[in-house]
Amino acid sequence: MTEEKRRKKIEIPEICRVEGHSAVHIEIVGDRVENVQLDVFEGMRFFERLIIGHQQDEIPHITSRVCAICSTGHVLAAIRAVEKIAGFAPSPATSLMRELMHLGMIIESNSTHIYALALPDFLGFEDVHQFASQHTEEFKAWTDLRNLGCLIQTILGGRPFHPVNLHVGGFSRFPSIEDFQKIETDLRSKYALAIRTCEVLMKFSPPVRRTSEPVFFALVPENDHYGYFGDQIRSNHGFQARVEEYKTYLKEETVPYSHAKRSSVEGKPIMVGSMARLTMFSDRLSSNAKSIFDSSALAKGDHNTIWNNLAQGIEIVEAFDRCLAIIETLIQTKAEWDPFDKRQHSRAIVPPVQGAACGTVECPRGTLYHYYELDEKGFVVAADMITPSAQNTYRIERDIHEVVSQTINEEYDEEREKTLTRNLETLVRAYDPCNTCATHMVSVKYTS
Amino acid sequence: MTAGSPLPSIAVHGLTGCAGELLVILENLENLIPYVRVSSFPFAQSKNEDDRPVDIAFVEGSVSQPHDLERLKKIRAQARWLVGVGNCAVWGCVQRDGCRKESAVAMFEKTYGDKSQDDVMPSTPLSDHVRVDVKLSGCPINSTQLLAVTASLLRDHLPYITSKPVCLECKLRENACVLIENNLPCLGPITAGGCGALCPTFGAACYGCWGPSEQPQMEAMSTILQEKGYEMNEVMSRLFAFGAPDELFERVKRTIPQVSVDTI
Repeated sequence: MTEEKRRKKIEIPEICRVEGHSAVHIEIVGDRVENVQLDVFEGMRFFERLIIGHQQDEIPHITSRVCAICSTGHVLAAIRAVEKIAGFAPSPATSLMRELMHLGMIIESNSTHIYALALPDFLGFEDVHQFASQHTEEFKAWTDLRNLGCLIQTILGGRPFHPVNLHVGGFSRFPSIEDFQKIETDLRSKYALAIRTCEVLMKFSPPVRRTSEPVFFALVPENDHYGYFGDQIRSNHGFQARVEEYKTYLKEETVPYSHAKRSSVEGKPIMVGSMARLTMFSDRLSSNAKSIFDSSALAKGDHNTIWNNLAQGIEIVEAFDRCLAIIETLIQTKAEWDPFDKRQHSRAIVPPVQGAACGTVECPRGTLYHYYELDEKGFVVAADMITPSAQNTYRIERDIHEVVSQTINEEYDEEREKTLTRNLETLVRAYDPCNTCATHMVSVKYTS
Repeated sequence: MTAGSPLPSIAVHGLTGCAGELLVILENLENLIPYVRVSSFPFAQSKNEDDRPVDIAFVEGSVSQPHDLERLKKIRAQARWLVGVGNCAVWGCVQRDGCRKESAVAMFEKTYGDKSQDDVMPSTPLSDHVRVDVKLSGCPINSTQLLAVTASLLRDHLPYITSKPVCLECKLRENACVLIENNLPCLGPITAGGCGALCPTFGAACYGCWGPSEQPQMEAMSTILQEKGYEMNEVMSRLFAFGAPDELFERVKRTIPQVSVDTI
């Protein structure tokens, strides 16, 4: 007679402090973790279907609505795709201002994730009142950094998110020199805060560890500095390809328990985001960001997921340095782009061309793909979008599997289970998952 | 408020949307916290009291699945004032227009293959399902309006919100008209203001993200765009991208009997 195996389920019904709605289901049979499911139960919005029939100028404004916190990334990915189809190259000033806008998003998104969403796990507070009243220094650091990110995006884009000033062809109005100087002053006054953010994060050692090494994927930056735009994808295992070939290396599948699709490469999970970028491109960091990276566990090859929080901090420092460099260049080249008449349009007309292309950017959470097919009048015929969070889902499940497996022989009592649940939530949060993105950007099977 | 009495409570919930309003409220925390107790805000805190009555519930997002509807009903039952925040909650935003083009079930099949469709619903605004005390549109909402609405409700007043067209705010800012002078497809005449005529101020066309204004002259707008050379399919897709209700859609469609439903 076989002894009946111990069966057990661990459920986390809703993970708080992440964008969107997700749950975790873990099934344990005997001494084995049988099943791990990350269930994203955010409602669906079918962006790849609803964008069909819209004109190329409308695409960035509509896809912006996929996600507020990375709306700038969705806008820029869409613009890059359309301009690629049209064979249009933006002016150097336009490219620099787009990059500045993107860095504003990096500063805002990373600081909000670090301070408001991830830090409560390490400092141990449960609600926003404790955050504001008992951790005043951190609360102020968050509002200061976040406001800077918002300021950059408001000056360039018109508002903190869902920008109105970024279009196919360029900006409808360039900011003034005074606007850029305002950003510069704010950057300089908060520089120490960016450095301090990293120092704080370095102190928190990871409460859990994974047992297998992740495979990292990130875009190869198109310029010689650390960056978020590119048309080539690379893995830390030596793989490299044009992003247009994404369907040949990135496999997307539906899973019965979730509204988010799951991506894999050769059947294996991948990880995208700050840690992936730093692992492959740390040699391109600014000198201050590089020295922080070099003194961190990341430089020693410690790829514990929890360090993704620190990786986001290092990217804030890098973003400060890069923003300052961009503003310096823009001020020096003022004569080329700053027109006398403010009402004159700075945006180029991009005549529609029939074709298809993939626009890609590195969002805070990883590589974002926007693929469009346009007809000769510039109307969308087909669309496909793959978000960073969808790419990370499989790796999150693998991480949970590995962490739970390590504790499997321990007797579960209430206290242990509480600690395990808390640690798993901390782990999921470190990915900074964006479930509104993961759900709304699922790949389409072309059946029509 | 008398000293020592507990602060009024607020709850902040997101249904199906982009989390933009949650972000706006998060970014206004330091302005709200001195006056209210945040009893529930799953996006921002892990300790939430969802089973207790709350003075003001802010709800973002549209109802796009049975799970959203269940939550909305629970939120309504616990809330003294329910404030629908953002275009999704008030109008249904881009996903509502998507559902007009193709049924939610059809989109689901094309997106997920033959997976069970038990949990699909066409996207709808909150007021299709429950009583909504205040509708504050925006994409995203305006922070100043959010704080004004909160202040009003804390004083037991229903706030005064207008949905006059963007053009009004554009005139107040003394902008040049981008529709007339720059020949851009500006939807300002039929779109609710509140943004401060943001797009035209930047020299761009309003694309309608706050939803329709009061008494929107859709037919006239459609005529103007056609006179500018836009074909009817494109006019319809621009006019209704951000969640204008079906009755307005039908009204404009009646002016163009030759257009087949499949092409728009």
